[in-house]
Amino acid sequence: MFLLSICQWVDSTRLSAIIRQSNWLFSTLDTIHTLGIVFVAGAIMLVDLRLLGLGLRSVPVAQLVSRIVPSTLWGFGLMLVTGGLLFSSEAVKMYHSPAFRIKLLMLVLAGLNALLFHRTVYRDVARWDPSSIVPARARMAGLLSLILWIAIIAAGRAIAYAPGYDLG
Amino acid sequence: MTALSLLPAGALLPAFEWLQHTYLGETIRHSATLIALLEIVHLIGLTILIGTILMVDLTLLGVGIGRHPVSRIARELDAFTGIGLGIVLASGPFIFCSEAVRCYRTPVFWIKMMLLAIAVVFHFTIHRRVTRAEPPEPRQVARIVAGLSLALWFGIALAGKGIAIFQP
Repeated sequence: MFLLSICQWVDSTRLSAIIRQSNWLFSTLDTIHTLGIVFVAGAIMLVDLRLLGLGLRSVPVAQLVSRIVPSTLWGFGLMLVTGGLLFSSEAVKMYHSPAFRIKLLMLVLAGLNALLFHRTVYRDVARWDPSSIVPARARMAGLLSLILWIAIIAAGRAIAYAPGYDLG
Repeated sequence: MTALSLLPAGALLPAFEWLQHTYLGETIRHSATLIALLEIVHLIGLTILIGTILMVDLTLLGVGIGRHPVSRIARELDAFTGIGLGIVLASGPFIFCSEAVRCYRTPVFWIKMMLLAIAVVFHFTIHRRVTRAEPPEPRQVARIVAGLSLALWFGIALAGKGIAIFQP
């Protein structure tokens, strides 16, 4: 299959071998990736809670979004780089991992959800923000985001339990 | 590194061995599914905990969002910090009892426990007083407390990852 042959090629590269054969390099990337997700998802969760009307109700949505989103995008970039390198060290194994596929799917959905939120209901934020009532569509986006990021964390952790891995 | 320098070397080992050999310890130990689920719950709890603490401490550092008073931000997020802390403290011991003996022999486990003890006491005493202070504490005090809080929780998360990496 096309994707499988790409993964096989990735596994055959020098970069892949270097990361795979270096315990400390793999562990360092893994640590940055795990701590990174905690901070990135933690920050996104704050926005989600605000949209759901559960936390930070005194902070306007627009202020929260404009302050948090740029930082999370940088954090997300770091996730992509570390995640990409981790993936490259065992691409074929990832190809066969259901958890990895679920994680990628959830990431795409989380991205689409965020994009849709910004392109639609967030455009009118100046109108609904002062009323302190968050529109149903924005609340829905917050709830979806919360669920998707929890699923991403869960799937990410589950990758380590994929067949062929050492437990722990 | 001795586990707890106040106790004679090895004094706690029998207790750790007993814990690991209890029905609960053995059940979790032999179930990859249970361990994975517990670790996922633990990680999600940590995300909630770190996300909310990050927000409060950044506000305390003066690099938060707008000019919202720390006391209000802290009050609005307090419940979630509590939920996050509750989740990690409830799930952690289950993971621990499945590999108590290995933890005993892993220095970074003891570092994590010491940091955790310090962080929890610090959080509910000094940190709470400073984040609730009306009028706010002087800027330098606030900065030191926020920096300490961030360093402690980051250190705990890092040490947590370290337990999995440094297998004795």
